[in-house]
Amino acid sequence: MEKRVVLPGEKIADGRAKIPHTFFDGEATYAEVIGTLDEEGRYIALESAYRPSVGDTIIGIVTNIRRAGYLVDLNLPQEGLIVGRDVKVKLQRGDIVMCRVKMVTEVGDTELGEVRRLPRGKVVDFPPSKTPRLIGRKSSMLNLLREHAEGDVMVGNNGYVWISEKSNIPLVLKAISLVKQKAHRSGLTDEMAEMLKKETQG
Amino acid sequence: MAKEKVQLIVDGKRIDGRTPEETRSIRIEAGILNEADGSAYIEWGGNKIICGVYGPRECIPRHEASPYRSIVKCRYMMSPFASLEEHGRSGPSRRSTELSKVIRETFENLIISERFPNTQIDIFIDVLQASGGTRTASVTAAAVALVNAGIPMKDVVSSVAVGKAGDELIVDLNKEEDNQGQSDVPIAMSHQDRKILLLQMDGLLTRDEIAKMVEMAEKTCDNIYDMQSAALKKIYEKGEDENIEW
Amino acid sequence: MGEETKDIILSYIRRDVMESTLEKGVRFDGRGFDDYRKARVQKSVIKTAEGSALAQIGNTKVLAAVKFDTLTPFPDRPNEGVMITNSEHLPTASPTFEPGPPRENSIEMARVVDRAIRSAECIDVKSFFIEEDKVLGLFLDLYVLDHTGNYTDTANLAATAALTNTQIPKVEDGKIVRGEYAGPLKMDVLPVSTTMVKINGVWLVDPIRDEENVAETALTIGTTEKHVCSMQKDEGSLTKDELLNNIDIAFKSGNQLRNIIKG
Repeated sequence: MEKRVVLPGEKIADGRAKIPHTFFDGEATYAEVIGTLDEEGRYIALESAYRPSVGDTIIGIVTNIRRAGYLVDLNLPQEGLIVGRDVKVKLQRGDIVMCRVKMVTEVGDTELGEVRRLPRGKVVDFPPSKTPRLIGRKSSMLNLLREHAEGDVMVGNNGYVWISEKSNIPLVLKAISLVKQKAHRSGLTDEMAEMLKKETQG
Repeated sequence: MAKEKVQLIVDGKRIDGRTPEETRSIRIEAGILNEADGSAYIEWGGNKIICGVYGPRECIPRHEASPYRSIVKCRYMMSPFASLEEHGRSGPSRRSTELSKVIRETFENLIISERFPNTQIDIFIDVLQASGGTRTASVTAAAVALVNAGIPMKDVVSSVAVGKAGDELIVDLNKEEDNQGQSDVPIAMSHQDRKILLLQMDGLLTRDEIAKMVEMAEKTCDNIYDMQSAALKKIYEKGEDENIEW
Repeated sequence: MGEETKDIILSYIRRDVMESTLEKGVRFDGRGFDDYRKARVQKSVIKTAEGSALAQIGNTKVLAAVKFDTLTPFPDRPNEGVMITNSEHLPTASPTFEPGPPRENSIEMARVVDRAIRSAECIDVKSFFIEEDKVLGLFLDLYVLDHTGNYTDTANLAATAALTNTQIPKVEDGKIVRGEYAGPLKMDVLPVSTTMVKINGVWLVDPIRDEENVAETALTIGTTEKHVCSMQKDEGSLTKDELLNNIDIAFKSGNQLRNIIKG
């Protein structure tokens, strides 16, 4: 399908359309970040800063311990909070956690629930707007990656990617930078499969 | 303004051979830096400027943060080797402080800052080589870097200086025209709603001349917008990530 | 949480994982322990300077520019010109670089590069003499534009490349005639530096930022074709054997970098 790149300020739809990363001026809806617009009027942001919303799965790193609970770095301007009584295990600084966004306040404070501690691994940051490509349709890309890296990889909506210590970390890092560079192009899955095959055959 | 007797216009042509409404050659590259959230490089005549954008990120110092919006910060700097003359001083000057402010005020009109309360957005502009018109080239580059960073904005801004030299109205003043011309009017204009977002002036002009100059600026800004747009779109089309030749 | 604090916390969790990866004999970016990332140099990129070069090692980019002014010589060396090296860690280059006056890392970088060039005696400062109480001053500005690790070697590469590209300005009546030149600056010796870090007992050449953050020991060795011309140990400690071994590595990779400058 024909897609074109639109810049901030370009009209996306007449009237008010509830599409992420757009604004409404009383008459029409406009793009507020660079994105693609297809013939059916679907607009998808190409670059955007992540704002947590309730239900998102995100990965974070415990940075500090307070009376109320744990402060978690989420690759965001503000740290998130895990309320102490919400977790059964005791967390430590440096622990990597996967959790769900429970609540977001108007000023950006984030509370996290459904906490799961991940085993030792490497955390890298990745552009949040490109995480759908890294995961792939029905996790196809992610599964391809896990298979070749012989270990687990997790992707948070906030852009933090966790790579299990047991997996082939350099290979996953190479794959991640490939997606980062070519997220917006077609044929990415094929190119990825080819790269992974080539690298793992040594 | 120095009124030296230099012939800036001869037979309708300017000293660098341009016609009054012609701009110098402009080249824009988006996303050239690895670490910044968004970046741009612009070569505009003899100007070479690099711009990096970070944010929205934590506002430091904290007491500057607003619970209602993101704070926009801008730092425009001229390198000590940017001019053909003596080695300049590094660090902020009165001039760079003023330019940082007017550039920031340009973008405060566009950035939808309510989206990210308690944060800041940094725009860093470094002029590596200067040859007249650095502030307008900086605004043009910063607009590209902000879009590249995915900062929410209502519109894209383009910028050019118009002026008067040899009693003619001219577009995109070079260094000599800037120093020895009769007037210099840097203008930045938003693309969709045609608002003037940056406006400064020196020299003496009539009301009619100003009306004509804004019209000239508007026309030029449209051309510059096309170049900004092409630079941004190129990222999503080009093959291998090429290295940028300076 | 400031960016620097974040870097420190992240480095704690990186350390274990880095060590177990290194035990498998590989680095995060797939390089061998003694390998540099891809390095390249573009000369004469700034036309307003008398010499310039943009050096790139991996994604780390440093711009070096050379400008001349007339100055009063130092009283103890009345017949010699002066070289002044400055560095700018542009806040654009890294989330950990903040705007403002140079911090200690930036000052250290300028001084380490300055020492390598000075000790190599590659510049004939005596030729900078103009007349009594007046000499040429060479200003070397180092601009770190993008920092993904090892800005020191990148800056040194850029600096030496810029000097090989420098034109000495023409001087008339004790004044520099801008845009006219007396001839190229002579550069027969090419000083470059090689930085190595030690992690879990292994030495890695040309560290990326992840590696710098967890390094136990960091060492920079400047070399010319024949001599060691500067050394700077940052954090950590090392043995005599490690030092001598690292000097061998520095000569080897130094020659690779010199070939890049020669083009």
